[in-house]
Amino acid sequence: MKGGPEGRRSGKMKILSIQAVTKFYGRIRALHNVTFDVPAGSVFGVLGPNGSGKTTLLGIVMDVLKASSGQYSWFGEPPSEKQRRQIGTLLETPNFYHYLSGEENLRIAAAIKGRGKEDIPRVLEAVKLSERKGSRFSTYSLGMKQRLALASCLLGDPRVLVFDEPTNGLDPVGIAETRELIRQLAREGKTILLASHLLDEVEKVCTHVAILQKGQLLMAGDVNEVLLNEDFVELGAGPAALEPLKRLLESLPGVRQLKMQDEHVQVYFADGVMDPSDLNRYCFEQGIALKHLQLRKRSLESKFMEITK
Amino acid sequence: MVQTLRVEWLKVRSYRTFWILLGMTILSIPGLTYMLFDLMKNSFPRGKGTAILGSPFALPDAWQTVSWNSTLLFILPAILIITLTTNEFTYKTHRQNIIDGWSRGQFIGVKLFEILLLTVLCTLVVFATTLIFGAVVNKLPAGVTMWQGCRFLFFYFVQLISYSTIAFLMALLIRRAGLSIAAFLIYMLAENIVVGIFRNLYKLNGVDYLPEEVTDRLIPQPYLRKVLQTPADATRWEHHLPVYLGVAALYLIIYCVIAGKRFTTSDL
Repeated sequence: MKGGPEGRRSGKMKILSIQAVTKFYGRIRALHNVTFDVPAGSVFGVLGPNGSGKTTLLGIVMDVLKASSGQYSWFGEPPSEKQRRQIGTLLETPNFYHYLSGEENLRIAAAIKGRGKEDIPRVLEAVKLSERKGSRFSTYSLGMKQRLALASCLLGDPRVLVFDEPTNGLDPVGIAETRELIRQLAREGKTILLASHLLDEVEKVCTHVAILQKGQLLMAGDVNEVLLNEDFVELGAGPAALEPLKRLLESLPGVRQLKMQDEHVQVYFADGVMDPSDLNRYCFEQGIALKHLQLRKRSLESKFMEITK
Repeated sequence: MVQTLRVEWLKVRSYRTFWILLGMTILSIPGLTYMLFDLMKNSFPRGKGTAILGSPFALPDAWQTVSWNSTLLFILPAILIITLTTNEFTYKTHRQNIIDGWSRGQFIGVKLFEILLLTVLCTLVVFATTLIFGAVVNKLPAGVTMWQGCRFLFFYFVQLISYSTIAFLMALLIRRAGLSIAAFLIYMLAENIVVGIFRNLYKLNGVDYLPEEVTDRLIPQPYLRKVLQTPADATRWEHHLPVYLGVAALYLIIYCVIAGKRFTTSDL
């Protein structure tokens, strides 16, 4: 699904609507005519390789960058600082006063958001930083800085969160915990906009995706719609029967594409996926006994590699 | 504004560099004046100094003297302002403040308000220093009130807010502390050289209205007035005062507009 009108057909309330946003840095075009909507309650992944424009796009919607053209709206209204106070945002790197402690930095963020300091112990606990809350920010490790930034996002329990590469600098445990935190937030009904080049990360938590490449929006929409018809069946009948199996499958009605993968044949159908048991029966009736039969989902990574080629 | 000022207070209240620079700024005002007072007292045989220099530390002249002395220290509040401003760029907290929910106008507005507060504070220190020196040094001559000449306090205020806003503008445009301080010093020096060359060599009076020179002219050098200044000079200065103040105000508006425009329209 191409970004734009299709996204707007969704009946769900739009948290963020981006309309034809273009951004130039001098003569370099960082974003070109990007349009998509983020529905309420979604975990919306913005995907793209490094330099694809993800951070630029998030910078524009958080008003730290100015779009060259196009517009965006939050909660169906023109953007304003009042709306940003209702959004927890981690953009690019954690930005804090190095000479202040983690807790003092959170007090500043809370004061700007117009909230009291009562929520600070909760968010510090949520990111497991309570023990080091009194230490200067400059003494924090990269992972701790990232955790503090996540804590700042959670201040005031906002209903919308914007994360730009949230697992940057975290160790494997930290990555797993952050992923779980995002899942937990999604379960609570929060809308999450998540930019990442780690496809595995996005695939595991996102309900919607937008794919950017060189500033162009390639696709946007529900993950299941973006990956529509991308399920396939993998069959194997041993090396001797590989060619007959391939010929048999080529003659099967509704087959869109066949791919050879080691000793297996991957079958893509034009519309949906044929029931594997029907396929097994068909092959057996045609004299081929299958040794391997598996319904597989195509990974977001392979889809991404294909469309960004 | 109270809420944004509270945030600024949270930023500096446990920042040691801020307190050191603020302390230096405040203490240097009475400190320098005392140093010059002591120098004058001990550099001439008893009673002779007054005959040559007049009584610059006695009221009502002390208003002009302490104000002028304090203008020599403008680099200190400038360093304080540049440090606080460039910190935001170094730590990228100017972006974070906007992301967290300030408007760009709020950010620039509170910074300008801080400059105003610092200027008011320094002016109060000059006021207190003048009164203390005035009280210590002499009794008022008959027919003269202690407030005569206190307009120099206002001129000091105008001059300091003008210099401080230039420092702020440089920090905003250059974004690096060292470079901004260097640029501020070079500009101060360069303008003085330009003014010296064009006024003295080419008799070009237009240079009197350059950004720093026009505020410098609000407080004439108070020492050796009997020797260096004629009554005609004093009359000319008096006559030009409204123009100097008007041009200084115009420059101040221009600095604020440039700062606001720059911060509200560019990428952060």
